[in-house]
This record gives sequence, structure tokens and C-alpha cells, in this order.
Amino acid sequence: MPIINQATKELQVKIVYYGPAKGGKTTNLEQVHRNVEDVQEKGKLVSLATSSDRTLFFDFLPIEAMAIKGFKTKFQLYTVPGQVIYNTTRQLVLRGVDGIVFVADSQFDKMAENAESFQNLEDNLRSLKLNFAEIPYVLQYNKRDLPNIAPVEYLEFLLNNREVQVPSFQSVASRCEGVFEPLNMITRLLLNKFINEGARKPA
Amino acid sequence: MPGLPPLIEEDVLSLDLALDGLLRKSEAAAVMLIDKGGPVIARRGETEQFDITTIAALAAGSFCATQAIAERLGEANFTSIYQQGERLSLLFCNVDENVLLIVIFNAALSAGAVKYYAAETIRQVAQQLERAGRRAPGQTLDLVSENVLDVSTIFSKKR
Repeated sequence: MPIINQATKELQVKIVYYGPAKGGKTTNLEQVHRNVEDVQEKGKLVSLATSSDRTLFFDFLPIEAMAIKGFKTKFQLYTVPGQVIYNTTRQLVLRGVDGIVFVADSQFDKMAENAESFQNLEDNLRSLKLNFAEIPYVLQYNKRDLPNIAPVEYLEFLLNNREVQVPSFQSVASRCEGVFEPLNMITRLLLNKFINEGARKPA
Repeated sequence: MPGLPPLIEEDVLSLDLALDGLLRKSEAAAVMLIDKGGPVIARRGETEQFDITTIAALAAGSFCATQAIAERLGEANFTSIYQQGERLSLLFCNVDENVLLIVIFNAALSAGAVKYYAAETIRQVAQQLERAGRRAPGQTLDLVSENVLDVSTIFSKKR
């Protein structure tokens, strides 16, 4: 659920980048922070990382943009730590999530980790009484520049073979290629979802 | 997970009033209400001097993490965290399932007194949020009338 303040005309939404360890979630946020243009206000990127550059708790990037006329829309972008031991942390960061970008590592030898992380996401959503039907999500197949990568069709088969297929994107986050497309798509999906809900239950 | 209800002017005024009362009585530097997911709901006091958005995101994470630790120790009733500083201290208090109260105050002030005054504010805030929830069960914002801009390119890359 987004935070809606009718009095101050403010809407706050939370987008979480999820996926296996070392898959490029933090890199996505760093690239958005470095390269985003024309937003009203860009906050500092906060990274709670260990000395080995692994996210310990989360990375956090607040951005303010005009998405709805007359409403100040504050986007809060989070990443979760990918390592298996941080599952409790991931559950905490998922709290209050409005949309998810799942960042998969395209390398062949990471397929098991991708599948495991995706399953873990579903489990954690369930523990928050949420599911994929309620929370909009998109897939981002990262590291497409590496030599030993799986074909997109294979990744689609692995991660996008549910009844309703979701938008998926190829990316090289380290070069900021395919970083903004998934972010814009998830924004579109979650705003559309709120609109549809608003239409069903008018204020 | 039930989220925060949409807030109308009456709610915001009432929450601000409750926070103002706490500011006055406790002489705190700043007080804010945040969602446990991270976003700020209301803020009062000298909030300009702090990076409130980030403090809120970190505070939500910190509170929920400490709560998770307490649960693992078998502590069912976990209501607040107090962080003692040299210059400024912090108090995080649970308001209800979704909301936290954060008080930033001069370290010279008594934490006990701040906590005492906060208890009254927490009651007022919880009551108002309950009223807001009753007013609009399951309701979300009517975005249809709000004219969504072209959302395909909200975020664009620098050329």
C-alpha cells in the first residue's frame, strides 16, 4: 500500500530490488542515482554494506518525481541483501513494498541461485500475506555482457512461466544499460494498479 | 498486511497537533511519525536540519530488526528503543501495527520524561489513525481523477 496524504498531496511508494547475491541490485541503484535526469529531488544513496561490498541491511535511494498531476510522488528505492543468511533482513525490507524489480544474474552457473531467490521472494511475500498477483513486479536479466550467459528464452522459462507473464528486460547495469526501463515499467505497473483499485472503490 | 489508510486534512491536523504537544512538553528537537516500511507520515520541529527521509528509512529498519531480535529472545512486548547520544538522543516508539513515533531530543534531557510525554502522544495518534481507518475501510486514493502523467518515462537517463 502506498502512503497517501490527501492533505499535503503527497504519495509515497516503495520499490524493492530483489534477487540473488552479487547479481547487480546495488549497481542498479548506484546507476539510477548517478544518471537520473530531471527529477525534482534526489536524495543521497545510503548503502549499508560490509567491507566486501555486500549489502548488509539495505541500500536506499529516495527520489521525488512528478508522476501524478498535482501530487508530489516520492519514490523510495531499496535493495535487499542477496545472501541466504540475510533472509530475516529481506523480510523486513519487503515490509510495505509496492513494486518489485527482480534482478537475475544471466550467467549459466547462477541459474540455481536465481530460481532459489525467486522462490524465496514468493515465500517472503507470503509471510507478509502478499503474493505475486497483488504486488506488481518486473524481471531484469542482468550481466548480458558476460560470455557464459544463458539465452533469454531460458531465463524466461525459468522465471517468467507463470499464468500471467510480466515484462522482462535485458541489462548491463555496470554500464547503465537497461537500468531505467525496468524502473519506469514497475512505476507504470504500480501506478496503474492504484488507478484500477481507485476506480473500483472510488473515494 | 493492512496498510496505512489515506489521510485527509482532519487526520493530518490532528496528528500535527499531537506531535506539537509532544514537542512543547518534552522540549524535543524534532518528532515524526513514520510508516514501518520507511516513509515519513508527519514531521514537526526542527526537521530541516536533519535528513529526515533517510533517518526514517533507517529507523524503520532498525526498529523492525531490534523487534525481530527481541522476538527471538521470547520477548513479545517490544515497544521502544532509546539511543543515547552525546549531543542528540533518539527514541523510537511503537504506535500501532504500521506506525512508529521517532523523537530526536537534546541528550541533556531526561529520556524517561520524553518517554512519559510520548506515551500520551502515542495514544492520540493511534486513536486518530483508527478513526481514519474506520472512515475508509480498504479505500485507496482515487487516482483516476488525479490525471496520471505519462509514466513511461518518469525516470530518464542523462544524455
